[in-house]
Amino acid sequence: MNDKIETPVAEKGMSQGHVLDLKLPIGWLLSAYGALLTVYGLLTKKEMYAISLGYNLNLIWGILMLAIGGGFLLTAFLKKDKRAR
Amino acid sequence: MAPVITLNAVDYAIIAGYILVMVLVGYSLKKYMKTGEDFFLSGRSLPGWITGLAFLSANLGALEVIGMVANSAKYGIATVHFYWVGAIPAMVFLGIFMMPFYYGSKVRTVPEYLKLRYNEATRGLNAISFAIMTVLMSGISLYAMALLFKIMLGWPLTGSILFAAVVVLLYVFWGGLSSSIYNEVIQFFLIWLGLLPIVFLGLKEVGGFAGFAAKLQETLLHSVKYLGTSNNPLGVDWFGVVMGLGFVLSFGYWTTDFLVVQRALASKNLNSARMTPIIASFPKMLVPLIVVIPGLVALLVLPEFSQAALPTADYNSALILLMKHYLPNGLLGLAITALLASFMSGMAGNVTAFNTIWTYDIYGSYIKKGQPDSHYLKVGKYATVFGIAISVGTAYIAQSFPNLMDYMQLIFSFFNAPLFATFLLGMFWKKATGWGGFWGLLVGILTAAGHFILYKAGVLTYHSDMAANFYQAIWAWLADFVVTIGVSLFTAKRDPKELVGLVFGLTPKPKADARWYARPAVWGTLAIIIAIILNVIFW
Repeated sequence: MNDKIETPVAEKGMSQGHVLDLKLPIGWLLSAYGALLTVYGLLTKKEMYAISLGYNLNLIWGILMLAIGGGFLLTAFLKKDKRAR
Repeated sequence: MAPVITLNAVDYAIIAGYILVMVLVGYSLKKYMKTGEDFFLSGRSLPGWITGLAFLSANLGALEVIGMVANSAKYGIATVHFYWVGAIPAMVFLGIFMMPFYYGSKVRTVPEYLKLRYNEATRGLNAISFAIMTVLMSGISLYAMALLFKIMLGWPLTGSILFAAVVVLLYVFWGGLSSSIYNEVIQFFLIWLGLLPIVFLGLKEVGGFAGFAAKLQETLLHSVKYLGTSNNPLGVDWFGVVMGLGFVLSFGYWTTDFLVVQRALASKNLNSARMTPIIASFPKMLVPLIVVIPGLVALLVLPEFSQAALPTADYNSALILLMKHYLPNGLLGLAITALLASFMSGMAGNVTAFNTIWTYDIYGSYIKKGQPDSHYLKVGKYATVFGIAISVGTAYIAQSFPNLMDYMQLIFSFFNAPLFATFLLGMFWKKATGWGGFWGLLVGILTAAGHFILYKAGVLTYHSDMAANFYQAIWAWLADFVVTIGVSLFTAKRDPKELVGLVFGLTPKPKADARWYARPAVWGTLAIIIAIILNVIFW
């Protein structure tokens, strides 16, 4: 929400800050989970999803997580790209 | 006993993936940990959205999630009071009114503020009680996790305890508070992604909110309507809810507990620090979606919670049984990972708060003063090892307590409830004196203890344990408030010049950001308005 709102840091002699962009590990983790669940959902039979009211939830949720994870990776790379320029 | 849930290779791969990412994040932060501020306060460099989500997740531990699902099955929609009354106002108050003194005064810890505002004795009392509280809490969360995984998955108790302890140790030792905060942000996403499928399937099966209305008792469906007397599922009247939960317990926890305040102190500037709890308040309002709905669904779909079985039902098992009821392997692994993540981050949060308090307020103040920063950085790292070792020990002590949630609430009402009176007077009444603060806090803690003994002895009676807990907090707060004022009238005043930056009225107001959409007051007001609307809808 407000990570773009940057006022100059007042303190002197402060450390550089932690440049690790958290969007990357979140993005990779969620994408990997998404890919795994999608593939698993495609490989498994319908009977397994009787408990989830007949929905192949692994497939549905896998695709959703791929989208969310991908979104994080995309914003992280776009930001990096902008900084590089 | 056979485990409740059987996991397969895909589930284990998901769990392993999370552990791997956490350890890698910790390791990659290692090179930034050059000073004490880096290790204990993330170099005061993090953006508001990260500290905000961490602020929320530090509180959204697995015990909290499991306990709130259990409360919802037991008390119904009234559980929302823990969020819309018991959290949002306090979080907004912290951001708008208190954060300028915390962040603005450049203190590194909550006890350090007490030292500047009151005196050394007040700081010592708070630092020592807080250090004890955090290792107890971290031990409880460790034990609860191991117990849950033993019953649910058949994992050995000691194996789970040691494994989780080593993983948390690795990433906190390397990455300090940053590791802990990053873990909390990842946990935030995992909890939502892990539990939402249960919410959707549950609503689908019972026929949505109309299904609840048709099939559940009327008293379980309203948040406020039955609060006129204590004859409602909570066993608490409106005064207890508003004053005990909404005012004393909630403000005591959200505004003075270093575990959450530390997240805001890691922000990169005052505006981000003030926005931290306010950003957190928006997802906080939505948490009932993933705890209250599953709780109500459990009543309707699980045979363990049918009318006949209800008197003996173990409410704490509601969430786990729902996971078994709805989730296929794969998603099951994701939900287990979400619980594992929130247990580990709960423990890491306590450990990072402990090592900071230990290093700055106990070791650096009473044991070895005036050492170079590198010395304290090293002490902090070893305090992490030490803190985790004690947590493992307290995990085994926690085994002897039958009800962990009650035990945690009890600890909060002992230490946090009176502390809020000390802070309120300290920040907003310039005549409060050093010894006023000390005696107020001490008498407040003793009042809570006295009330607890009288309640257990049967001298005081309430409609429910929860009511006793709320009223205990009110009495402890009141005692602290009255004694602090009383003693302050008769003890030496502080020079107002020393209190600049610490007390309202002696401190210049923080300059409002020119852009209205960056102002904490704007977002804070919005949060309050939405919370009121939600309360009216579920009246």
